[in-house]
Amino acid sequence: MTGLDRIHIHYSDCSSYTPMYPQLLSVFDEAENRYLKPEELKLVGQYVASMPERLDTYRNLRERELEVMQAVANQLQAEMPQVSEEVLERCLKNALLMLRYCALSLLLNDEAILEQRFLSWIGPLAKLYDTKAIDSKLYRLLNQQLSKALSAKQMSYLSPSLALAQESLLSQSASVNAAAQR
Amino acid sequence: MISVADLVINSRIPGNFFSPDVYVRGELEVGLLENRQGDRLLALPETLIQAIYSGLERETGQATRLVLFNCGRWWGRSFYTRFCEQLASYNSLPLADLPMVEFLQALQACWVAHGWGKISLDQTYQNRGFLVVKITNSAYARLAPHRDQPVCYLEAGILSSFFSQLTNKDLHCVQISCESMGADCNRFLLGLPQRLEAVENLVVNLDHEAIMQQLCG
Repeated sequence: MTGLDRIHIHYSDCSSYTPMYPQLLSVFDEAENRYLKPEELKLVGQYVASMPERLDTYRNLRERELEVMQAVANQLQAEMPQVSEEVLERCLKNALLMLRYCALSLLLNDEAILEQRFLSWIGPLAKLYDTKAIDSKLYRLLNQQLSKALSAKQMSYLSPSLALAQESLLSQSASVNAAAQR
Repeated sequence: MISVADLVINSRIPGNFFSPDVYVRGELEVGLLENRQGDRLLALPETLIQAIYSGLERETGQATRLVLFNCGRWWGRSFYTRFCEQLASYNSLPLADLPMVEFLQALQACWVAHGWGKISLDQTYQNRGFLVVKITNSAYARLAPHRDQPVCYLEAGILSSFFSQLTNKDLHCVQISCESMGADCNRFLLGLPQRLEAVENLVVNLDHEAIMQQLCG
């Protein structure tokens, strides 16, 4: 064996490259030199069948983002007049980013993308800025507005990633606060 | 009153520029790996890094550390420029308007995306005029010949020119703990050159805590 088996990869670690809709792609990887098995085909069929609704939800979110978020911003500012606009704007911007990644995640049926591109970035920042109290109020208002803007079916596509993002951000800020109080 | 439309620049909200799954791309049909801006990325074999160490040692002996440090300084100068350009253009903001915490978080993400290990800042001694940078999983520590003193001169050089440009001061950098000597991470001490003169001799005998105590105690 030469040193080739131990090449130091001097760019991103490829193992962290999670493909979109990972479950599906692993099915296609398996199918390299054989036909897909019936259960694998079923998985592909399910994803494709859910696609029109995923697209509708995504489209709806895309079109109504501004209206939803403006309503949230107005309510948030009314409920928290003591907080500076700069801080509220930062929280709203992070929520916009969250909503966009949740939309992408529902379109691709891939929650890993949320973790890799959004939570790993916003998580540490939310911790540093310590905006848990504002974020928790913001998420409540956001979820209310989204329930009005989307149908129940559409909400059911968005909810898993939205809950994942919100819980993950709120729980980590909480642990920091707890640590600070100790 | 907050206008949400004004928070969005060109329909975009910037996130992590260095998110590995977006940052690394390739034109594999022509044999190129690139970052998202089209700059070339290379994979280095570990044996090449080892060969650079042993080749330099054989040809230049004692001067090895100076050669590596100066290579690092050179690298750090252009790295700083490129890094700032990337961040400013991605965030559609003049760099001065980007909060320092976001700048530093981008630096950490950049380090990870290139497989250079994990970098973090320890600001405990900042009011004494020192900054400590910690790096774990450095390839330059793990592949270096084992010595009785720290070996990451290349990284010390990069950090000295990166932070000199960031702070607009001429800063020197000395490594005060090294993974190659069994430490939990590589610690780099940044400060004004005259205040770091004594440190280079201390690293042979003292661990990083004792060094900091001697400097700040």
